[in-house]
Amino acid sequence: MSETILRMTGIGKTFGAVKALDNVDFELQRGEIHALLGTNGAGKSTLVKILSGVYLKDAGEMFIAGEAVTFTGPRDAIENGIAAVQQHPELVPGLSGFENIFLGRETTSPGLFRRFQRDALRQRAEALLTRFPIGIDLAEEIGNMAAVDREVIAVLHALTRDDIKILILDEPTSTLTEREKALLFRLMRTLKNAGITIVYITHRLEEVFEIADRFTIFRGGRNIATMRSDDAQRAGVSIPEMMLGEKTGQLYPDRHAQPGEALIEARGLGQDGAFEGIDLVARRGEILGVFGLVGSGMDELSKALFGVTRPERGDILLGGKKIIFHGPSDALRRGIFLVPGDRRTEGLTLTRDVAFNMTLAKLRRASSLAGFMKLRAERRIAAELAAHVALQPAILQRHAGLFSGGNQQKIVIAKGLYAQADIYIFVEPTVGVDIGARAKLYALMRELSATKAVIVMSSDCDEVYGLADRVMALYKGRIAFESPALETTANRLLTAGIMSAQQAAEGPSAPQVERQPA
Amino acid sequence: MNRALLMRLGAFLAMVVVIGAIFGVLSSQFLSQNNIAAIFRHMSAEGIAGLGLTFVIVVRRFDLSFPGIAAFGAMTTGQLIALGYPLFPSIAGGIAVGIVCGVINGLAISVLKLPDIVTTIAMGSIAYGLSFIYSNGATISDNFMESGILDINDQTIAYLDEPIFFMLVLYLLAWLVLHRSRFGRGFYATGENPRAAMFSGVHVRLYVIAAFILTSATAVWAGILHCAEAGQADPSAGDGFLTPAFASVYLGAALFGYASVPATFAGTLLISMMLNGFTLLSVPYYYSDAIISVVLISAIAVFDPRFAAALQRIVKTRSLAGAPK
Repeated sequence: MSETILRMTGIGKTFGAVKALDNVDFELQRGEIHALLGTNGAGKSTLVKILSGVYLKDAGEMFIAGEAVTFTGPRDAIENGIAAVQQHPELVPGLSGFENIFLGRETTSPGLFRRFQRDALRQRAEALLTRFPIGIDLAEEIGNMAAVDREVIAVLHALTRDDIKILILDEPTSTLTEREKALLFRLMRTLKNAGITIVYITHRLEEVFEIADRFTIFRGGRNIATMRSDDAQRAGVSIPEMMLGEKTGQLYPDRHAQPGEALIEARGLGQDGAFEGIDLVARRGEILGVFGLVGSGMDELSKALFGVTRPERGDILLGGKKIIFHGPSDALRRGIFLVPGDRRTEGLTLTRDVAFNMTLAKLRRASSLAGFMKLRAERRIAAELAAHVALQPAILQRHAGLFSGGNQQKIVIAKGLYAQADIYIFVEPTVGVDIGARAKLYALMRELSATKAVIVMSSDCDEVYGLADRVMALYKGRIAFESPALETTANRLLTAGIMSAQQAAEGPSAPQVERQPA
Repeated sequence: MNRALLMRLGAFLAMVVVIGAIFGVLSSQFLSQNNIAAIFRHMSAEGIAGLGLTFVIVVRRFDLSFPGIAAFGAMTTGQLIALGYPLFPSIAGGIAVGIVCGVINGLAISVLKLPDIVTTIAMGSIAYGLSFIYSNGATISDNFMESGILDINDQTIAYLDEPIFFMLVLYLLAWLVLHRSRFGRGFYATGENPRAAMFSGVHVRLYVIAAFILTSATAVWAGILHCAEAGQADPSAGDGFLTPAFASVYLGAALFGYASVPATFAGTLLISMMLNGFTLLSVPYYYSDAIISVVLISAIAVFDPRFAAALQRIVKTRSLAGAPK
């Protein structure tokens, strides 16, 4: 079991000015399940992408079974027995399970006129199931399958080659229920017993002690520690503490909350499959922070508060009055602005210039009553806003798509400033934003909060805790924890968001998860 | 004005000169004053369909129905004139028919989410079919002399032929809407990124519907001009619209970087020059359409950076695949 199958040494990768990976050493043993842990941007995804040949490493060496290898693309990784399952596997909904498993590999030799041999496919699928026994009906259409069965199909798809030695799973459990998770874990153990090594990214720390033999924690692009799960549990190691580290310097502006009247309130807000029983209040003069992982319902909640979707239960109150939004334009008119989680698809028109983007959310302000644009005034205001948010470079005719992530976010914020809203909702405001621009964005949010209500929703616990005056944790669509920031710790917030409320109530100690008998 | 725009303008003028020179050499009449006037007359009828189509292309949709709708609208106007209605209500009636067809297109595509190409092919067929209901497809010319519709073709306003005057007015209006008003921002935002537009409070669906209405309405106007020139209304009023309209918009967009009113004007001018030149050389219409399509595809290839990128990729993978292992 201690045979080293993969060794990576001194791996480095930089994107522009950001060091995504910095001199990372990493090792995998044959037939182990190895969890990769860390906050967003810690480097675990980058490592996995280098391992699967999607990214090319800038520095370092890689050995498989002792032999040095260099990957120039995903094909090289597969040739070397490394297969990856994406976070949201792309399957064809209208095809059956076994057709999806062999998608693109229907015949053994390529050629336009090779016939699909359905029976042969079925036999090969059955052979796979004999190798890796798991209860699944392969004749069912993908579109009718449960999330876990789709995941299983994606795993089997990755394993159609017989020589796969290392399997990479990127957050396979993020959308699964507890029962479904158990099924997936059973498959993972079967694979492990067949000698396959599994690398597995997760944000749900309680799973680590349940399924992983070893885990590695990343922080700021470095490998902080690799440990055996049972050793860590015996020693009472706190994983959240190791994930967070101590670096909460002056990245975040000083808090100076002076809570005023409630501007927006949610009472018992619920939407099927997304969130339930949400009560929250955002007041003028303070920042409300909401921490939640992928699948916590955070994104859906932000969209319900902005009128993109209509919640099925509960009420939204603006200034004490019940409101039903008829779309985002209605919410905007009533003084709400959303800085969406996906700025490239939801926040910006990438193929237009800065001024176009900045005024889009309130064109009436940039035009006369008859509808004609006041182009000179628009240009002047856009220049002022660009200076205010410290846009770099401050070239107004430049297309939004040409700016870096942080500066794109500044454009979205400038757009929000131009819209003159009362309530600002930020979702994942600093994903893909480098540390320098981050400080500026945080300062802008704090500045906004002086006269408006600001809600910050993020899967970066550090960010929520460091920035907000009041914090909440969302776990599986419910509020798991709520507290003034000064009366709690980042650790406690993280624990609540990752492992639900009762864990948080037990205090900020190590995760209290008993290993369940397999 | 920045350098990139100047270069594009230069490329456009160069194309005007090259096309003018080629046809000028091949036909002595091409550069005569009369013929240049004829080119603009051509622009004012067939070319106007491209102006409306610009809006649909800006919101990144397709409309293949406008030739059929032009026929239906023109026949409606013809029928109203034949029934003795005055000129203005007759024209308004035809355009109203176009607007109704555009609303149906827009609702089907933006609200009911039907695929745009199939929907507009169907709408075009339906409208073309309906253009036969008044006269079973026979031409309508009753009351045409008395109604004044022929004057649209023959009279001048401000030293310009009326069709050309109206074309310039329509282009100016379209330019004001698309490039000088907040509604123009809405059209572009809808086309470039509908999701971001929706998050910015832009009524995406209304803009898509408006684009289809504008295309249908201008197509009907072009059909009516066609009738005014021919002195009769017949269901073939929209027959020659499809290829030149698409070619104008895309040629202009290729020249100027994206679809816009000035770009379509430039595209229409080039296409009209070519069609006129082919007519002078008595090239049959089926060849002239084919040649225009070749010019269109070449222009897109030359000016669109995506094409250059794709070409580069193909060459690169070829050389990689060909490299010895």
